[in-house]
Amino acid sequence: MTFHYSSIRRLAPWLLSLGMAALLAAPVAAAEETGEQIFKTLCAKCHGDKGQGVEEHHPDPLVGERPLDELAALIDKTMPEGEPEKVSPEQAQKVATYIYDAFYSPLAQARNQPARIELSRLTVRQYQNTVADLIGSFRSPGKWDLERGLEAEYSDRVGRRGRRGGGGSPALKRVDPQVKFDFGEESPVEGKLEAHRFAIKWQGSVLAPDTGEYEFIVRTEHATRLFVNDTEQPLIDRLVKSGSDTEFRASIYLIGGRAYPLVLEFSKGKTGVDDSAKQKAPPPKVKASIALLWKQPGRAEEVIPQRNLSPHTNPEQFVLTTKFPPDDRSLGYERGSAISKEWDSAATDAAIETAAYVATNLRELAGVSADDDSAAQQLKDFGVRFVERAFRRPLTGEQKAFFVERQFEDAPDPAGAIKRVVLLALKSPRFLFREPGAGGDGYDAAARLSFSLWDSLPDEPLLKAAAQNELRTREEVAAQAERMIADLRTRGKVREFLIQWLKVDRVLDLSKDKELYAEFSPQVISDLRTSLDLLLDDVVWSAASDFRQLLLTDGIFLNGELAKVYRAELPDGAPFEKVRLDPEHRAGILTHPYLLAGFAYTSASSPIHRGVFVSRSLLGRSLRPPPEAFTPLAPELHPDLTTRERVALQTNSKNCQSCHAMINPLGFTLENFDAIGRFRTEEKGKPIDAKGGYLTRTGERVKFSGVRDLAEFLAASDETHSAFAGQLFHYLVKQPVRAYGPTKHAELKQSFAQNEFSVRKLIAEIAVTAALAQPEKIAHTSP
Amino acid sequence: MLDRTRREFLRDLGISAAALPFVLNLPSLARAGEQPAKKRLVVMFSPNGIVPKTFWPDEEGAEFTLKESLQPLAPLKDKTLILHGVCDRIRGDGDAHMRGIGCLLTGTELFPGNVQGGSDTPAGWASGLSIDQEIKNFLQASSETRTRFGSLEFGVLVPDRADTWTRMVYAGPNKPVAPIDDPYQMFTKLYGRQKDQASLKSILDDLQEDLQKVKSVVSAADRRLLDEHTTLVRELEQELKADRASVGHAVPEIEPGVKEDNDNIPKITKLQIELLVNSFQADFARLATLQFTNSVGGARMRWLGVEKGHHELSHEPDSNEEVQAQLTKINRWYCEQMAYLAQRLAAIPEPGGSGSLLDNTTIMWTNELGKGNSHTLDNIPFVLVGGGLGFQMGRSRKFRRQPHNRLLLALAHGFGHHLEKFGNPNYCESGPLNLS
Repeated sequence: MTFHYSSIRRLAPWLLSLGMAALLAAPVAAAEETGEQIFKTLCAKCHGDKGQGVEEHHPDPLVGERPLDELAALIDKTMPEGEPEKVSPEQAQKVATYIYDAFYSPLAQARNQPARIELSRLTVRQYQNTVADLIGSFRSPGKWDLERGLEAEYSDRVGRRGRRGGGGSPALKRVDPQVKFDFGEESPVEGKLEAHRFAIKWQGSVLAPDTGEYEFIVRTEHATRLFVNDTEQPLIDRLVKSGSDTEFRASIYLIGGRAYPLVLEFSKGKTGVDDSAKQKAPPPKVKASIALLWKQPGRAEEVIPQRNLSPHTNPEQFVLTTKFPPDDRSLGYERGSAISKEWDSAATDAAIETAAYVATNLRELAGVSADDDSAAQQLKDFGVRFVERAFRRPLTGEQKAFFVERQFEDAPDPAGAIKRVVLLALKSPRFLFREPGAGGDGYDAAARLSFSLWDSLPDEPLLKAAAQNELRTREEVAAQAERMIADLRTRGKVREFLIQWLKVDRVLDLSKDKELYAEFSPQVISDLRTSLDLLLDDVVWSAASDFRQLLLTDGIFLNGELAKVYRAELPDGAPFEKVRLDPEHRAGILTHPYLLAGFAYTSASSPIHRGVFVSRSLLGRSLRPPPEAFTPLAPELHPDLTTRERVALQTNSKNCQSCHAMINPLGFTLENFDAIGRFRTEEKGKPIDAKGGYLTRTGERVKFSGVRDLAEFLAASDETHSAFAGQLFHYLVKQPVRAYGPTKHAELKQSFAQNEFSVRKLIAEIAVTAALAQPEKIAHTSP
Repeated sequence: MLDRTRREFLRDLGISAAALPFVLNLPSLARAGEQPAKKRLVVMFSPNGIVPKTFWPDEEGAEFTLKESLQPLAPLKDKTLILHGVCDRIRGDGDAHMRGIGCLLTGTELFPGNVQGGSDTPAGWASGLSIDQEIKNFLQASSETRTRFGSLEFGVLVPDRADTWTRMVYAGPNKPVAPIDDPYQMFTKLYGRQKDQASLKSILDDLQEDLQKVKSVVSAADRRLLDEHTTLVRELEQELKADRASVGHAVPEIEPGVKEDNDNIPKITKLQIELLVNSFQADFARLATLQFTNSVGGARMRWLGVEKGHHELSHEPDSNEEVQAQLTKINRWYCEQMAYLAQRLAAIPEPGGSGSLLDNTTIMWTNELGKGNSHTLDNIPFVLVGGGLGFQMGRSRKFRRQPHNRLLLALAHGFGHHLEKFGNPNYCESGPLNLS
């Protein structure tokens, strides 16, 4: 069990947020010289007072990427030039720390740069969603209302030899909440269907919450077919029953936050030649059952729950399979600030993939096929609409000629022309980059709004508003934002934000010591993740949408399985429901077992990981990675010490304390929870000490006794509100908030408070802010 | 993504180790610089049995007369090998048509299932892989013989439903492989990439022009990113140019807009054969199957003056001379297609080798039944044309009820894949049929 500090770094990447403005400074004894003072006295003459360089001495700015300890050693050995003995190792350390934080480190450089709205390409997520919606805009809109489950038709047979829908009028139609049936040897509709031969067809849509590989599983003794997204090509084809297999699996990559059409067919009895007239003996009694399960990315197998199913059949979605290199996340959120060879060739492959999809589905999308001689004009019209939607604005006459007419003139045939139109559009900077050279008109506002909320392009109503010049005022934009927030895509994006904010995406393996925590099975881990999702949804998408409830609620979603582990009163096999667990001790996400187990070792809690999480994610403090990798003290070597005592022992040096003075007392408040997040009152026979504290940015020392105190403080703290608003802004907009004005961050925090900390309203506020921002004016006409 | 790379990596490791002794044993490797000759196999399938009296030569040996059904092979007689007396002895679930196609290349039983045939018990898919896939896996396991696709499965008017009657090729137990019966789909599979590159190349000038326009309206700071983009587009252009120079094999031109229907069977067949020949020439694959319709297929060969469906006709008794003559016509037409394929291959020199493509390609024409009206699986027609597998061609051979598993083994051995058993081991006694 080795614990490298690098793993902490992975757990919590540096956040360039409000924390930047309040870099953690080591407490300094008043009489001592500070690093800044040393720099002023000994270094500024040659390097400039802000490290900017001095022409006649050392003209280059003092910036670089050396880690702090290396920088300190270098200064100790070589500085000041020619007389390094002037600086003691301690002084070198101090001045290095000052330089590092003030202007040397990459982070300090970023902070010191004047912020501006940078031209950015689409992020990977934005690209995937944009092409999906670009194609989707030529299909009917999907529907995801409050109805749940799948529409089911029970009939005497599936159409002839696998052709669907041929069974005549069904004996029974209803909505089934999920597919998990055991019919035994009986008929599912007594008196209307024979027991030895019947067929069922379920249809509707399935919501994929996260992006990734989904494995679908059908369990049945009989013939079955499953279609997901593609309703022509089955994902699982077992219409021919063959052999004794009863479980069929297939995987499909899906983009999160979208609903995909799904059809499941089942049939009992023989297909092929109808020999029933020849059969004298009654058909043998055979059992029949069927279940539809899935494995979401990183989760355990489960019957697809009702909450992920809808009886409405949504149109097929275009799911791009081209893989892009990951986006830059060095500032804590994905940004499209850089391009590379790998990115460009991925963009080329993606354009080719999309063009092929358009060609294959041309008749459906354009309403006309390329073979049709008389269809040239219709195809050109389709081309114009495609390019306009891809560019998020109407084309001028000249642009129509360039992007469409010219391609039709030069291509050998109409099918080739359409491919060229798509390729040219999707490789154009007008598609790949966000609002390039924006004049700041309604179309730009529409695009900013939709990218902020959906990571995708504007929909029809939004484009219409732009065309009618109805995106000028705050109210007009806010009304659109309000409408758009209800969309699945907003939920999908906010969900991804919350998961990153809580570092859930960084902790991939939650498994624990099998001896100590035998009950902490993969199924329990998977259910806990579901429980966390339910909690986040419950708070964020409730009417109040009160951010503070994320920290304060003592409600938690448990099912029968989880109840056993966390000692709650629920019957065996109970579905998820909201219960109160360990009243007086639980506090929202802070004590959610998924997070507590994530910020823990395999056999012990980790106050350090927990403290770092509270510092960085919740309070928005920035922490330097420790100067070297440490292995935590092994519990066996200190059998008498509690976890708290061990941590205190290991981090008691002055060096460590510069950060751990903040980290530890925050993490200690969670010591009432063990490595799987179960409540405890003692460890190794000693009572738990969950006292802790925090020195606020304004210098106030707050004391906590247990997590409820911490939660109350965080829920009421300016620092938490400000950190959340900043992080949410960056995730949604993907530009530095400072670029929107020096006071923008503070304003957001203020409106957050005025709106009773409604997350929903904060989302709207951020999207409206981004949509209405006026970029740098450029003295040119439109491109 | 990562997963696949790792699998590929592992596969590559496994391969070199397994292939090494084989490669070193090849006598041709002793001669430096000379590549071992390529070996290829095409299995052509037509349904509903044949008319024995117009099909099988009376003689055995090198001196034989081609009867009416096989007349089209006359110009290729010295490259032809006719095998009489090879029987599909596999029994079990499924009717004769189902077992006929499902066990033909797999040499093993069908699984019990829910597909009811005209008689017998219902069945599912074959319980093993087919010999073409076995040989493909063998060739793909070695870098010497690996090709882009390994095998290609062509079809002509195969019904759009997946059941035991429509599938001949199996990648494994319960893993039928659907033939591609749309030549345009096959074309995209083979040449889509080249076509895309051509389209891509054609828009690059316009793209540069567009980039310049957009660049002129962004700030200096933002222009940097677009400059980088411009450079990347230029690099892409150069790569495409270089790539084009290296592709020696031209993309074939195929007649556009041939609709998939019964009366177009001759046209579709020509298109598929053209693509098959081209893909061998480009070394995209060493194995191919060409499946006409399906087991029980009901093609109406109006272009031969035969109005009724093939399957319906095949049930008529031997005494119905008129229908037997029509069935002979039908089989003769299939034979013409085989001869056409062989002649196309014979006309193309082997790239980087000696002789023609046909010298290194064996075409085997077969059927799911021996005879339509009796549904027998005895004396399944196996007619081979071409070369490369070490079989002695130009002969008519007659065997005494030999299980066809032995023929499947002979095909594998012809590729240097010395299997002892294939399919049901009970029918593999005495090893491969000796065809040399």
